Amino acid sequence: MAEKGEMNKGDLGGVFRLREEHEKVVKDCESRILHWKKVSGDYEALNDRLKTLPDQLSYDIMVPFGSLAFMPGKLVHTNELTVLLGDNWFARCSAKQAQKLVDHRMKHVKHELDDLSKTMKNFEARVGLVKDLETISANKGDCVDIREEVRNNGTSVTKGRQRIAHRPNSKPKLDAVLDLKEEDEENDGEDGSDEGSGKGILTEEELWARLDELEKLEELEDDQDRLSDNADMNGEDTSSSSSEEEKERDAAHPVNGVSLKPSWTSVPHSIAPPVMDRKQEEEEDEEEEGNCLPTIFFSHTVEPKKVRINTGKNTTLKFSERKEQKEHSKRKKKNGHNGHSHHELHKITTPADIYRLFVDVKNGEPIPRKSILKSRSRENSVCSDTSESSAADFEERRVIGRSFSYDEATHSDTSDGNADEDSPVAVPLRATSRFEAFSGTVIEKDPMPSAVPHLTITPPALPTILERKQEEVASDFAPPQEAPKKVSKFKAARLQQK
Amino acid sequence: MSSKSRENDDNSEGHSALKEELNKQVKEQKVVVDELSNLKKSRKVYTQQRNSNIFFLADRGQTLSSSKKKLDILKKELQDM
Repeated sequence: MAEKGEMNKGDLGGVFRLREEHEKVVKDCESRILHWKKVSGDYEALNDRLKTLPDQLSYDIMVPFGSLAFMPGKLVHTNELTVLLGDNWFARCSAKQAQKLVDHRMKHVKHELDDLSKTMKNFEARVGLVKDLETISANKGDCVDIREEVRNNGTSVTKGRQRIAHRPNSKPKLDAVLDLKEEDEENDGEDGSDEGSGKGILTEEELWARLDELEKLEELEDDQDRLSDNADMNGEDTSSSSSEEEKERDAAHPVNGVSLKPSWTSVPHSIAPPVMDRKQEEEEDEEEEGNCLPTIFFSHTVEPKKVRINTGKNTTLKFSERKEQKEHSKRKKKNGHNGHSHHELHKITTPADIYRLFVDVKNGEPIPRKSILKSRSRENSVCSDTSESSAADFEERRVIGRSFSYDEATHSDTSDGNADEDSPVAVPLRATSRFEAFSGTVIEKDPMPSAVPHLTITPPALPTILERKQEEVASDFAPPQEAPKKVSKFKAARLQQK
Repeated sequence: MSSKSRENDDNSEGHSALKEELNKQVKEQKVVVDELSNLKKSRKVYTQQRNSNIFFLADRGQTLSSSKKKLDILKKELQDM
């Protein structure tokens, strides 16, 4: 019985409370109804007064003088009222209009009263229901309460730890990640051979540490590059290691789920697994030096336009403007005045070089060449050294010289594959131009190192001489042939046929 | 059982409160009627307009009769309860 009583107490607590709440609502409704009744009564009184107010011209009244004193007075203008519309706005109107307003407001008050009475009835009914429930649960033991207790130790039922709903943008808990890592380490302890197959996740600190390391490595490499700028590094053997490297990379990349490393860094492995010891890393770095995949790395240094091409065979081709300039200066020294030496014919690196091939520089202005065929067709007119009078002659001669030099160059090309800057056969273009500008005598007197005059004079000179000879021969043999040249080609052909 | 008694208590409380209110009103009204009946004929009677502070001059006889009526109604109410 005692138990039952306690149970009932616990049970009834809720019911009592429910009843109390309901009763509260009912009481609230009652108080509101009272308030509204009062308001409606006020309005009724006002309405009555308004009905009778305009009946007389004036009323004797006691005018309130403050809150405590009164003065006898007269109420005049009995049909003039100011009605408060709300928010301190007043409307002047007659008593009848005021009555209408009062009626309108009375309607609203009545409506409110009706609503309140309805809700009150509703809650009174609920209170009655709760009372019935109370009597039933208190007095009779027939009713049985069926209950099922919810255990708090849900972890025993569900496997693992409870899942936490993260907010969409929040990071996962740090300790959870740490736990994962620890597990991974344990796994590695068991089988250390595989390189961190399970370490997908790194802690933030480890990540940053790794990044710092990589940065340092990069700086070191940059320094090395700067030191060994001129030294060409020739790879020992990387063809074999390439496949291994690739394999390693393939193994490493999917494992490191998040690769934060920028792609341009020279170290291909994005993030080494955290358990990998330093030694291993170094080995890897060495291997990476001999990385065989042909990749182009752009190193960000102060040097202007430095491109380092890693061909993968431990050879790094470096193109830096400085170097090129150095080379240029070297060549200039070698060639002396002949700034543009013929080796440029072989080393065509830019469109400008190609342009240079077919363009002469005269007085600092590039003048395009005429075609070789054209020049040869008109060759006959330009034979003698003394014909320096006309500009056309100059042109012609220049062209001849150039064409020959060009031929020479190509010859040299074919003769020895690596025709280089020092090849004596190459004839500078400028030399020819010079030669034309100042006549051949100047070249002979040119105070050059022994090689250069040889360069300048011999190759163009010989062919020109040859040509001249030919021309002379031609002129000797057939002086009248110059006449038919003026005739059209067809005619000439016919003549030949005859 | 206890709940029932409590119910009764509540009802009685509400009832008693109402009764007290009515009693008070009846007493007041009695006083008003006595005062009005004992007034000299030259005296002026003012009645307050409800919900305001203005007093209108009223007839002494009329007020006396109206107050008497009110007293009767109140007494009836009290008896009903």
